Amino acid sequence: MLALAAGVAAAPPVAGTLEFTGPEVRAILRHGPWPLPWTPDPSNRASGAPQAIELGERLFFEPRLSASGKVLCATCHAPFRGWQDSRARAFGLVEVERNTPSLLNVRYQRWFGWDGAGDSLWAQSIRPILDPREMGGSQRQAAALVRGDAELACRFEKVFGAPLPADDEAVVVGVGKALAAFQESLVTGRTPFDDFRDALVRSDFSSMKNYPSAAQRGLRIFIGKGNCSVCHFGPNFSNGEFHDTGVPFFAAGGVDPGRHGGIRRLRSNRFNLMGTYNDDQTGSSAVKSKHVSLEHRNFGEFKVPSLRNVALTAPYMHNGSLATLADVVRHYSELSPDRLHSEGEVLLLKPLRLSVQESADLVAFLESVTEREGALSPRRPATPCKP
Amino acid sequence: MGAAQACQLPAGVRLESERLALSYRTIPARIAVGEHFALELAVCPKPGAAAPEHVKLDAHMPEHRHGMNYRPNLVPVTPQAAGRYRSEGWLFHMPGRWEFVFELGGERLADSVRIE
Repeated sequence: MLALAAGVAAAPPVAGTLEFTGPEVRAILRHGPWPLPWTPDPSNRASGAPQAIELGERLFFEPRLSASGKVLCATCHAPFRGWQDSRARAFGLVEVERNTPSLLNVRYQRWFGWDGAGDSLWAQSIRPILDPREMGGSQRQAAALVRGDAELACRFEKVFGAPLPADDEAVVVGVGKALAAFQESLVTGRTPFDDFRDALVRSDFSSMKNYPSAAQRGLRIFIGKGNCSVCHFGPNFSNGEFHDTGVPFFAAGGVDPGRHGGIRRLRSNRFNLMGTYNDDQTGSSAVKSKHVSLEHRNFGEFKVPSLRNVALTAPYMHNGSLATLADVVRHYSELSPDRLHSEGEVLLLKPLRLSVQESADLVAFLESVTEREGALSPRRPATPCKP
Repeated sequence: MGAAQACQLPAGVRLESERLALSYRTIPARIAVGEHFALELAVCPKPGAAAPEHVKLDAHMPEHRHGMNYRPNLVPVTPQAAGRYRSEGWLFHMPGRWEFVFELGGERLADSVRIE
């Protein structure tokens, strides 16, 4: 426990490992431990309930929620593609402006969607069902589906402990909460980086040597001259907030307002956490929504994505414009400050001017925060529901 | 009874100007990156000085030249407890040096904290 006990103890020189300084060790330790302890979502009374996870899984693969009867959540969030679609821009009923984000570790996010228009995973899960370009469904259609399918109706009533509501909207909220319960179960496993980080905590130098030298050098760039960990902060490698990173926000037919539009949509969404469907009686889960500030600089800002399993979720950025991790590193290496529209971002994001070797090392580090075994497989409940 | 005796500052970080003294504490005491916290503030005018007509709080990162993404509120604790406030809605979204800024009438007091 040398490093933790000392707080900022440097890692002594060991063959096969870099000699990280005390501040570097402290910065590395911030990215763990992993996995994080389980805490239910207080805004969702179905959170963590096994029956809700089973119902949510069925709904996730349910095409009858869509207007065409052919689009399901898994159309864009495909389990075998890291719970995204590998396309630059998502395609539900038609193509939209933004890249499909992975659902891995989605439960650890503060805001949902590239613009953060969702303040809960369950509210965010309702949005694509009703969006005319994604699934094109309606509250009436979703409620009729649940009421008319004996298996879904039985499971819904078991999860929420009451007969199906007569109100379509209340049924749709239940659908969203069950979908969220399922998605909360999509948590990635440990990675080579986690093993290195924990070995550093234990001063287990023989285990530390198993972490590739290129990844170690890339890690040093990530927490140091790259300034990456300022935003890609913490065990989930995201501070959960929004930044302009110089990626163009022009989209077909106009501009994508990013976070600015997201806050406006959040405030007008009747399913937000300030509304009546929030199950959190303490009100603490709604603090972020009550206090989030709409600023002009939010225009063109997009959410900082988690980097866990990032090697499985190409292409990258809010519009899927960068095909590979090497392209992402090149973007930050050659970034033009003229593309940034806020003074704060200009100070944070300077072109890194990385050498070929440094760029390759940073990619090696990013690949090392991807688990070896791949994402969890969906679990299909086999036994029928008994009322 | 003078103003200084009537107005007691609770435990917390103390800051002073010529006319005012304040104490503040955060709840929880340790601020974590990306975690919401609250702040309790007490303001006392020094003898012969008047209480500030308005109180305003904010925080920013001087080196980054940006503030928070959230706008905290400021609510008097009770009408009887003059100069006592509670503020909700704080969140520091990056590690590094943050500066609390207290605007008290025409005066400005600041305090730096380093968040890991």
